[in-house]
Amino acid sequence: MRKAIAASAAVIMLSIGAIAGAAEVKMVGTVQKIEMQGGAATVTLKDTKSGNEVKVTVKDDLTLDKFKDKRIVDGDEVRVKYDDGDGVVTIFRKTAGC
Amino acid sequence: MTKILFTGLVAGAVMASAAFAKDHPGREYMEKNGYKGPETCEVCHPGKAKEFLSTVHWTHASKVDNVENTDPAREYGMKNRIYTMCNGNDIVNNLKEIPKTPDAKGTKFSGCNTCHPGNHLSDVGSAGPEAEAAIDCLVCHSREYDHSKRKPFKDDQGRVVLGQDRSVKAALAIAKPTVKNCMTCHEAAGGGVLVKRGFAFTKENDVHAAKGMVCVDCHKAKNHKIPTGFDPNNWAHDGVRVACADCHTETPHKDAEYNRHTARIACQTCHVTRTGGSFAKDFTTWEKLSNGYYEPTTLRKDANETVPVYAWYDKTVANRPDFIGPKGSRSDKASRIYPFKVFQGKGFFDRKTGELLAMDFAPPMSNGDTLAGVASAAKILGIKQYDPVPGWQTVLFGSNHLVTKKNALTCNNCHAPNGVLRFKDLGYSDDEVKRLTSPELYLQKMAEKQREEW
Repeated sequence: MRKAIAASAAVIMLSIGAIAGAAEVKMVGTVQKIEMQGGAATVTLKDTKSGNEVKVTVKDDLTLDKFKDKRIVDGDEVRVKYDDGDGVVTIFRKTAGC
Repeated sequence: MTKILFTGLVAGAVMASAAFAKDHPGREYMEKNGYKGPETCEVCHPGKAKEFLSTVHWTHASKVDNVENTDPAREYGMKNRIYTMCNGNDIVNNLKEIPKTPDAKGTKFSGCNTCHPGNHLSDVGSAGPEAEAAIDCLVCHSREYDHSKRKPFKDDQGRVVLGQDRSVKAALAIAKPTVKNCMTCHEAAGGGVLVKRGFAFTKENDVHAAKGMVCVDCHKAKNHKIPTGFDPNNWAHDGVRVACADCHTETPHKDAEYNRHTARIACQTCHVTRTGGSFAKDFTTWEKLSNGYYEPTTLRKDANETVPVYAWYDKTVANRPDFIGPKGSRSDKASRIYPFKVFQGKGFFDRKTGELLAMDFAPPMSNGDTLAGVASAAKILGIKQYDPVPGWQTVLFGSNHLVTKKNALTCNNCHAPNGVLRFKDLGYSDDEVKRLTSPELYLQKMAEKQREEW
């Protein structure tokens, strides 16, 4: 019983730690590759500041639709907010205007 | 009864939307003959192409009768207007290739008329058979439009052409315009996604979207004329208007006290409590993007991240170099209090006339030289003498979307000392402000509600 309680407590602590550790990252980057996978897409971006490649996951229907009808394509510069824990984006927008 | 009627209207609109999403007649014809643009549409919809050419979506301008300092004989719109959210227009920022700089990645075409539903050879306000044939019906009416085909390119004569998706696949997906069809252009206006209007018509952000409604359920087109409201910065119109009361009536609440407010308080004041998008922009200093091109320095927020200001509005518009926004007053019974999105933009003004100077975006987009942009625009417009000085202009945009029922303002949101309405600025005396910000007005009513809820 004690072991079970201790194990549960450890799992809870680890979960809280993971949640507390996840942070929102803001980034401007260039779309390198869009891979559609059912109800999500994995997008490879090149961070304009660091030059590093970053993979993020897009799940919202509005942005997925922009990939499908090619309103957002490879080479577009985008402004992105994502969770550095799971890589899921909350904002994914082209920077350029008219 | 009103509620039943309204619910019926919403349900009808949503069902009509769903029904329209099914097969559009003409599948066999298009599969056999292909899709050739408006001439295919005209087989069943004769006269519609010519009809469309007279609408604001094609002309980008109309006569206006509610804006000060305008000529009633002239037409105004994005074709020729300038203000500090869009420091150019279709004339000075006609779609063109931007001069490439050494570190630019790829070619870039830019222009205010990028959203014009023609092919650019038949451009804003053009007329005649060639213009009719150039209409891009599907960009508004297809649910399967391939936007990679709607890219500008140079033809063999060196003319800039705007491509179109005229595939049978796109034509077979024709339907009543969806939110996406409208927002493809309308969310990108003013220099980026959600910059100008700052609203997202999504279920998370708008009660109408949450009910499954689409833009054209309220902006219900007739003969391609699309009703618009009275946003002080949106002047061009097709002569038809839309208002909340068209569906909701002037007395939409169960509560008589709330209904009493509608005489002087617009629906939006309580039901559009937030704004978003750009709140400041500097056209005199541009920032370099990673692709090597420049964009105006722009401060922006997401939908629902900023708060509106409130002012009396009689649906006539103040139009001065330093301010574009609502006119109206407490004493004018035609005025009501509305919420507005505040935007402040910096541009170059002519020292002699005080007027805002237009900017051709090609030079600054290429190398950041904003004064070269002013010089180019002056040349296009035939302005020979001007003396540019930087300055600011405030624009109040109508706040008519991001509608909420759940988070609508209630008594204390306005009638408390820290309420959103600045009664003093709205023309009330000190004694009136004291009375208007006392719980005496609403305590009993809110206490009853509190007891019901808890």
